[in-house]
Amino acid sequence: MLEIKNIHKSFGQNEILKGVDLQIDKGDVVVILGPSGSGKTTLLRCINFLEKADEGYANFGDINVHLKTASKKQIHVIRQKTAFVFQNYNLFNNKTALENVTEGLIIGRKVPKAEAAEIGKKALDKVGLSEKYDAYPSQLSGGQQQRVGIARAVALNPDIILFDEPTSALDPELVGEVLTVMKNIAKEGTTMLVVTHEISFARDVANRVVFMDGGMIVEEGPPNEIFSNPKEERTKQFLKRVLPEDYIYYI
Amino acid sequence: MEKYFNASYIWESFPMLLPYVKVTFLVAGLSVLFGTLLGFILAAMKIGNNKVARKIANAYITALRCTPSIVLLFLVYYGLPALAENFGLLLDNVDKLFFIVITFSLQFAAAMAEVIRSAYQSIDKGQFEAAVSVGLSNFQAYRRIVFPQALVVALPNFGNSLLELIKEGSLAYTIGLIDVMGKASLIIDGRFNAHALETYIALSVIYWVISIVIEQVFFKLEKIFSKGKQVIKTT
Amino acid sequence: MDFKFLVDTFFVALSGVPTALIITIISLLIALPLGFLLALTRINQIPVLQRFAQVYVSFIRGTPVIVQIFIVYSSVPLFLTSIFEKYHIDKNVYDINPIWYAFIVFSINTTAIMIEIFRSAISTVSKGQLEAAYSVGLTNVQALRRIIIPQVLVTALPNICTATVNLIKATSLGYAMSLQEITLRAKVAANVGYNYVEAYIDIFLVYLILCSLVEYLFKRYEKRLSKYKIAHA
Repeated sequence: MLEIKNIHKSFGQNEILKGVDLQIDKGDVVVILGPSGSGKTTLLRCINFLEKADEGYANFGDINVHLKTASKKQIHVIRQKTAFVFQNYNLFNNKTALENVTEGLIIGRKVPKAEAAEIGKKALDKVGLSEKYDAYPSQLSGGQQQRVGIARAVALNPDIILFDEPTSALDPELVGEVLTVMKNIAKEGTTMLVVTHEISFARDVANRVVFMDGGMIVEEGPPNEIFSNPKEERTKQFLKRVLPEDYIYYI
Repeated sequence: MEKYFNASYIWESFPMLLPYVKVTFLVAGLSVLFGTLLGFILAAMKIGNNKVARKIANAYITALRCTPSIVLLFLVYYGLPALAENFGLLLDNVDKLFFIVITFSLQFAAAMAEVIRSAYQSIDKGQFEAAVSVGLSNFQAYRRIVFPQALVVALPNFGNSLLELIKEGSLAYTIGLIDVMGKASLIIDGRFNAHALETYIALSVIYWVISIVIEQVFFKLEKIFSKGKQVIKTT
Repeated sequence: MDFKFLVDTFFVALSGVPTALIITIISLLIALPLGFLLALTRINQIPVLQRFAQVYVSFIRGTPVIVQIFIVYSSVPLFLTSIFEKYHIDKNVYDINPIWYAFIVFSINTTAIMIEIFRSAISTVSKGQLEAAYSVGLTNVQALRRIIIPQVLVTALPNICTATVNLIKATSLGYAMSLQEITLRAKVAANVGYNYVEAYIDIFLVYLILCSLVEYLFKRYEKRLSKYKIAHA
């Protein structure tokens, strides 16, 4: 469904992505792991054109675009097919929770207001925020804000949702509620590409894990394979540092 | 002192001055209109990636910030016709209002450029990114998400700049505009400079009231527009 | 364009700089401490003084400087004349150097501006700083002088810079008191041959240089002081 080929991206002298290929099928939940600075977030942002890649192609169903020279219209079409969940939520500060969810529907997709409100309420119910339709972001906790962020993405019914470290800005006690919501929507068959540091989510929910380091994909495969039997040295080193069991053993 | 100061002259001055508040507002209104437009252009030059444009905008803003209004006013009043003459344009019979509005538009634009730039930059880039990520076009993202939030940030500074503009506008009397300030000097001339103090007191009260009203209006506007900004105290 | 006049008058305008600077410096010397003290009355909510400071700031900020000048320039002589008459002092008020009026007007004006600047600056220094100062045994005055004021100054400095530049610009209104400063000197020179364009270009340049210089000096001083500033994440 989504195929990415040979993405390159530099910021000044700093080469962040050095030719990444990735294929995602319908219903996949792909988790990207890797140390900070490995280019995971940049990869996600390039897919949604929040950064302009220097090189590379994206194959999106029947559309094939050159990432660097994509036209405004192509960018718009791809953004309509994807949704993005941000690390720091990026809820629209001047809109209520419900308005946050319906904004893309009403303005971006020209869905009639009443219908959009219907969809929006359902999405908010799904993330457990039935009581908070009219709350502004400033009145919500971080976990609640991120759940609105997820509802905003779900409501668009996109082909794929891109999650950029959705729990790393949250206090530890709020991480659980967000992960639960993500698990639920994964169960419904939503295609997801998730950048995260939550190993447990990768192990329990993902059907494929991608390990990135130094701007390249080092290794990928089903979670039990990657976690129990990594082939590459860099993957082993990384897992040794982050896996809870090994961590305890290490002490 | 009593023989020089007579409070009844203060009361007498009000009805004579008040009709000319219109002219004061006219100058301010036109200058706000043109100044804001130019301010938007300057802010865009400052925010944009073009180095030359940014340098020009910065130089303009610095120069205007360092020039007293009265100097700018006379520079425009004497300089513009001289400049236009080189192009074969005769500006001798143009209304004074023209030069006054140009002066204060130029000045207001410099202030607005900074107000707009700082308001724009105060809005997190993520707001725009989130908007396009849910399928809004760039223009829709600016108009519906970024602009309404920037407006709230800009309002108090806009209000302050407007107050400054109205106060500085009082200097237009020096080239003969009959606004509320100009009328005050006419009244004083008419009384052969006697009881100037009383007239000026009346004048200052009018300006003071205008300022307080504008301050309150902007305070209210800020409240109305700051949707989603209310801070809930949770302890 | 008369270039010889342009060059000559530039120096005429320049000769007005000392007057503008003296007024600026005297006004700041009065306004800075007075503004700080009055800002404290508003923050500590001292009953009568606080109310006075509030109305005072509102009036000064709500009226044009030129009107303030005219009020002082027409009221102080009246006041002095009546005093002179009462105590039979043989002195003519019109012999007083107009620079004294300038000192009065601009000090009154700048003090109001400083109250506002210090009020917002003081409110940014957290209460914890004061509490910490008390906790190590500093007295009220010591805490203020050694802990609070240095921090307040850093926060207030950019606004004090703006106020100073505005003050220098405002001295151009000294013409209304026949004060021999930059603008009036150049204007008088222009009266002879109607070289107004040249004269105002000179005046413009002198203010531009003067104000840019002041801004530059403040920026350098700000850099030196900024070690107090804690970077907020």
